[in-house]
Amino acid sequence: MASQSSSNPSASADWPGRYHHIDHILDTPGPRTDPEFAAGDQVKNFLRKESKILVIGAGGLGCEILANLALTGFKDIHVIDMDTIDISNLNRQFLFRPKDVGQPKATVAAEFIMKRVPGVKVTPYFGKIQDKDDDYYMQFNLVICGLDSVEARRWMNATLVNLVDPDVPDSLKPMIDGGTEGFKGQARVILPTITSCYECSLDMLNKPTAFPICTIANTPRLPEHCIEWASVLEWPRVHGDKKMDTDDPEHIGWLYKVAAARAAEFKIEGVTWSLTQGVVKNIIPAIASTNAIIAAACCNEAFKISTSSAAFLNNYFMLIGTDGVYSYTFEHEKRDDCPVCGGQAVDITLNPETTVEQLIETLTERQDLQIKKPSLSTPTKQIYLQAPPQLEKSTRPNLEKKVSELVPPGGEVTVTSSTLPMSLSLRISYST
Amino acid sequence: MINDSKNVEESTTALATEEAPDNKTRRYDRQLRLWAASGQSALESSRLLVISGTATSTSILKNLVLPGIGHFTILDPRKVTPEDAGNNFFLEGPSSIGKSRAEEAVRLLCELNDGVEGKADLRSLEEVLDKDKEWLTEFSLVIAHNLEGGLLERLSKLLWEDESYPTLAIVRSSGFLAEFYIQYHEHTVIESHPETAQSLQIDKPFPALLRDSLALDFENMDVTDHGHIPYVYILVRVLEDWKKAHNGSPPSTYAERQEFKKLILAMRKKSDEENFEEAESQAYRAWTATTVPSEIRALFSDSKVTNITSTSPPFFHLVHALSKFVEEQPNHALPLTSTLPDMKADTNKYINLQKLYKERAEEEKKIFKSYLTVSVDDAMVDAFVKNSHALKLLRGKRWGSLDEDPKALAELVETSSKQLSTHLALSALTSLATKQQPNAPLTPTIEALTAEAQALLPAGVELPAEFGDAVGEVARAPNADLPNTAALLGGIVAQEVIKMITKQYIPIYGSCIIDLIETWTGMLPV
Ligand SMILES: [Zn+2]
Repeated sequence: MASQSSSNPSASADWPGRYHHIDHILDTPGPRTDPEFAAGDQVKNFLRKESKILVIGAGGLGCEILANLALTGFKDIHVIDMDTIDISNLNRQFLFRPKDVGQPKATVAAEFIMKRVPGVKVTPYFGKIQDKDDDYYMQFNLVICGLDSVEARRWMNATLVNLVDPDVPDSLKPMIDGGTEGFKGQARVILPTITSCYECSLDMLNKPTAFPICTIANTPRLPEHCIEWASVLEWPRVHGDKKMDTDDPEHIGWLYKVAAARAAEFKIEGVTWSLTQGVVKNIIPAIASTNAIIAAACCNEAFKISTSSAAFLNNYFMLIGTDGVYSYTFEHEKRDDCPVCGGQAVDITLNPETTVEQLIETLTERQDLQIKKPSLSTPTKQIYLQAPPQLEKSTRPNLEKKVSELVPPGGEVTVTSSTLPMSLSLRISYST
Repeated sequence: MINDSKNVEESTTALATEEAPDNKTRRYDRQLRLWAASGQSALESSRLLVISGTATSTSILKNLVLPGIGHFTILDPRKVTPEDAGNNFFLEGPSSIGKSRAEEAVRLLCELNDGVEGKADLRSLEEVLDKDKEWLTEFSLVIAHNLEGGLLERLSKLLWEDESYPTLAIVRSSGFLAEFYIQYHEHTVIESHPETAQSLQIDKPFPALLRDSLALDFENMDVTDHGHIPYVYILVRVLEDWKKAHNGSPPSTYAERQEFKKLILAMRKKSDEENFEEAESQAYRAWTATTVPSEIRALFSDSKVTNITSTSPPFFHLVHALSKFVEEQPNHALPLTSTLPDMKADTNKYINLQKLYKERAEEEKKIFKSYLTVSVDDAMVDAFVKNSHALKLLRGKRWGSLDEDPKALAELVETSSKQLSTHLALSALTSLATKQQPNAPLTPTIEALTAEAQALLPAGVELPAEFGDAVGEVARAPNADLPNTAALLGGIVAQEVIKMITKQYIPIYGSCIIDLIETWTGMLPV
């Protein structure tokens, strides 16, 4: 990957006084600073010359994170983002301008930072985090995630946990994760294999609202039901294989019209363009201020971890800004049976009559596992595989069989799924 | 399927009346979902003054320019120093050094949003306070970062003189520590966006709801219909029957409530009727008495409500009408909500129930309006009735009242020692700065800061144990405007300013203290 060269010729020189504010912190320990803190040149050199940091996401949080890191003195920053700039980003993603709409976020953000903060090298990658291998992630001292996707976070988290080699101290990459929704947000520090990881806390996520298909098809009551009807049932029926593009105003317009017609037929009020777009794109409200708070909290932890100038967050900061400023700082505990960092199988007790199909249903409903369309196997046989089609077909008869016929008490079942960043090991026991 | 696609297309053209949103709506989409067009238009008509162009100030402004405030002015006579150029994102590094800090920041902030007007004013605050005080009162809100104590006192006293003068947001930061305060006389909120919904008043069913609930012939009903009756009808019906058998009282003991739930489940015709399961899980609604929340009741006896005059602000007229409504209407409850949660039901039954609630809510709103003695905008009345369970009235104090109140400080030593420690350390710094030559380097010792802080407390009251942690950090980096602290303040202060301007959501009440070493925020009450 070619790195961008800075457009500013006077770039590399630090002018006198440049780090005046930060040097107050780096030249002197405070009352709560660890005695190991190497005040002065040693810590400054590490921060400004040696440290290499990776930012995942160049969106709402990512723009803020990049600016904060650059001003703090990190000079070798890499950023990954697979998205391009949309007009609806401009109310908060402050490194982008209307002329940048359609351009890759990572590239535009990197160029902006290098122009504004001389001497900082930002290396963009326009693509997926999954495109990169372990060697790539090994090169960084620290990773900050500013993502809006649970799946990407799970993947990054599992990758960094798996990277840890007890014999290689450098293989432990602290992961700082931020997230926002409206006036609320959270920032956390994950030390892979040592503290609670992202997967350990999956049950803290809000359950996404899902509308049962029979409600959508037969008994709509809310405007959302009509919109789901238009997008889930009518779009494929009318347009066949043509893919729905939720960024295409014509497609949204069609869905809106169809949903409004259905709503009128059932005397349901409240289908609007904005709601239609909100439902089909699963839009989460987002503002500059909340992103600024959470990104600053993340970067402050990155600064403290990288310099030891103050203790870092242990390990979770939660903010609610709807009623005053309420925050809660606490230690989220590691789960021994965490499928990613716990190293143990998840224990599950089944009724001996439970069928494979019922087990699959139970698994998909577990909030702490969040599995979609799982495939199951034991060390010796395939129980049920979702793909490829011929194996799906050959294992399908097992769905109706009892699990107890296929797996002995205490036996292990390996679960794989596209939503799981790793394979999950279940230890099955039976209630008597 | 009910329609084929052709029919769908034909029948819809008349129904979907909205065009695709324009560019402005698209740009602001993610925030309009939080504060709607009304909040946006309040932002767009606001005029902000920010004193001065520090990293913290420009971070705050960034988060206000992006969502689209109307106007901002940066008041700052200084030239950009090499130190400024290193920590402020809204300066262009070395090329800004020597130029006006206000002009550079305004130029770069304005790039964020064409719709916002920005101005640089190169006078000093001192000059303005001496010669042009009136100018300050023309803004809707003033934000001041790290002002020296004497100027801060003059500014905060001036803006406190009249209720109509601008709100003042005071921001102090020193290294990893920070505090901010919003000085306002009074702040009222109708659209507080509460998490809790209004009562469905199942315990006090309105006549049409009671009639329809009693008219249902559960026993002889078709099985499909039976499985699709909304739980509201079921609960009203079971509660009516219960009360008949229990001298008019709802179930009150644990045993009675369990019994009540059993009665609901016993009505099922099939074991898998989800609407009855839902009724059971919602059974608390039947025995939870619909009452007026104590905070709302307290508003009724507020002197501005009891002494209402024709010139009182609409909020107080609305509260006055609400108090009359509660007092005189037979239910002694807040006006009925028109918003029904989703529930297991078929379309017709749900829509009919929704219609019942809407019609009744409309009637009650009419009655409510009849208690109003002045005319109030319809949209405001609608919002008020909808949020009547979550109204907010905040009465603030002048900045500095806490430090002038040794008794209050002594109490806080006991109750909020961590937050107070940071506040005292920052207050000590502010007052030390006042005592030295203007623009002299600020390098206070821990001893000097401690003496200043101790002087704020009444004799015999010791500084909190945590004071050492706070004062040590202040002495370490007295005037360091760290990029991350600045960015965090930029977000948190802007957020509160948005709440003040839009009069939506609930702003802070008191001083917000921030510690970025242990990463916590806390409040010191007014
Ligand atoms: Zn874990």
